[in-house]
Amino acid sequence: MHVLQKHDQIVSGIDWSAKSNQIVTVSHDRNSYVWNHEGAEWVPMLVILRLNRAALCVQWSPNENKFAVGSGAKTVCICYYEQENNWWVSKLIRKKHDSSVTSVAWHPNNIFLATTSTDGKCRVFSTFIKGVDKRESKAGTSDSKFGEQIIQLDLSFSWAFGVKWSPSGNTLAYVGHNSMIYFVDDVGPSPLAQNVAFRNLPLRDVIFVSEKMVVGVGFDCNPMIFAADETGIWSFIRFLGERKISSSPSKHGSQGGTGTEFLSRLADTGTFKFFIWDHF
Amino acid sequence: MAGVQGFVEADNAEAIIARIEHKSRKIESLLKQHKPVEALKTALEGSPPATRDERCKSANWIVVHRALMAIKDVEGMFSSLDPEYYDILMKYLYRGLSTGDRPTCDQCLRIHEKLTERAGLGCILRCLADTVNTV
Repeated sequence: MHVLQKHDQIVSGIDWSAKSNQIVTVSHDRNSYVWNHEGAEWVPMLVILRLNRAALCVQWSPNENKFAVGSGAKTVCICYYEQENNWWVSKLIRKKHDSSVTSVAWHPNNIFLATTSTDGKCRVFSTFIKGVDKRESKAGTSDSKFGEQIIQLDLSFSWAFGVKWSPSGNTLAYVGHNSMIYFVDDVGPSPLAQNVAFRNLPLRDVIFVSEKMVVGVGFDCNPMIFAADETGIWSFIRFLGERKISSSPSKHGSQGGTGTEFLSRLADTGTFKFFIWDHF
Repeated sequence: MAGVQGFVEADNAEAIIARIEHKSRKIESLLKQHKPVEALKTALEGSPPATRDERCKSANWIVVHRALMAIKDVEGMFSSLDPEYYDILMKYLYRGLSTGDRPTCDQCLRIHEKLTERAGLGCILRCLADTVNTV
């Protein structure tokens, strides 16, 4: 078991890239580290995010050559690796967000990034970086430059969290703090949005199990399953059961045991360290 | 939902108030016919949340209040009230509770209990979290 200790405030986001085997962490201390497994150790490399507020969330891009960080500074940092200087460079998307960026999600094409914010809106940006991304010949991505907003979804009147793309990238799902979950098909100039209200306490994060099924977690400590029927109408199906996700140690007090930890999130945010278990 | 609509200007407030007065007459007649649930539905329909004008909101509140106080059988009311009305009804219940007036609060609490059973905590959350469309 390894203890990776570098941050000096709450570790607010963590992601593990499957292919390149790197871990990226971000923290309220406004820093980010990319951890590489060298021999028996995990070695951190500091990433200068150029933030003046806490970092809140992070995700590796599908090709694992970039990662996105949402922050309380109303900005999103897109970080890529510069081989010549052996460091990660951070490019900021400063415009558009009126409040903290709570969640980020990459489209399978490695260029579009969806963000949710406490201003209630979900936005999709282009993160095309010359030298890192290849220009596709498809019409959809050919005009986008870095930081350009593709679409803004104004469906929620309260804080938005937990945005995710479906596996194909055709559908977007995110949740609002008003006990609603939003599904948007055909994200583009004419999207089809569905607002699904449910009886329970708000959700905080979602995950796509398949193109037509989503699991949401939130303040009820009981994962909720949503699915789309043949006509594409989304609705609540059932709870997953009484199972609590046991791999999540105590999270920050204000979120009080909400079961929002997924799979690889192993952050013990109380003591600013996190733990990796070796293969058995 | 109403996010994309603009907010109603002050001039249109007059039109809204006129519509509310018209609604009020309809509600009185429904109450005389002992149809309190219909009266409530009429009162809740076309509620003007997309306006910042306090007079419109107050005018509609008076109408909704009248219909609410006339409800005697709460369970029966819910069996014929469509779920689409739950969220807006919850907002008016909280407005009623904020008045502090004893009979109003009693009635609102009675309805609130049953509405929460039916609509769940999500309904309350939607009412509290929505600071844009207030009643």
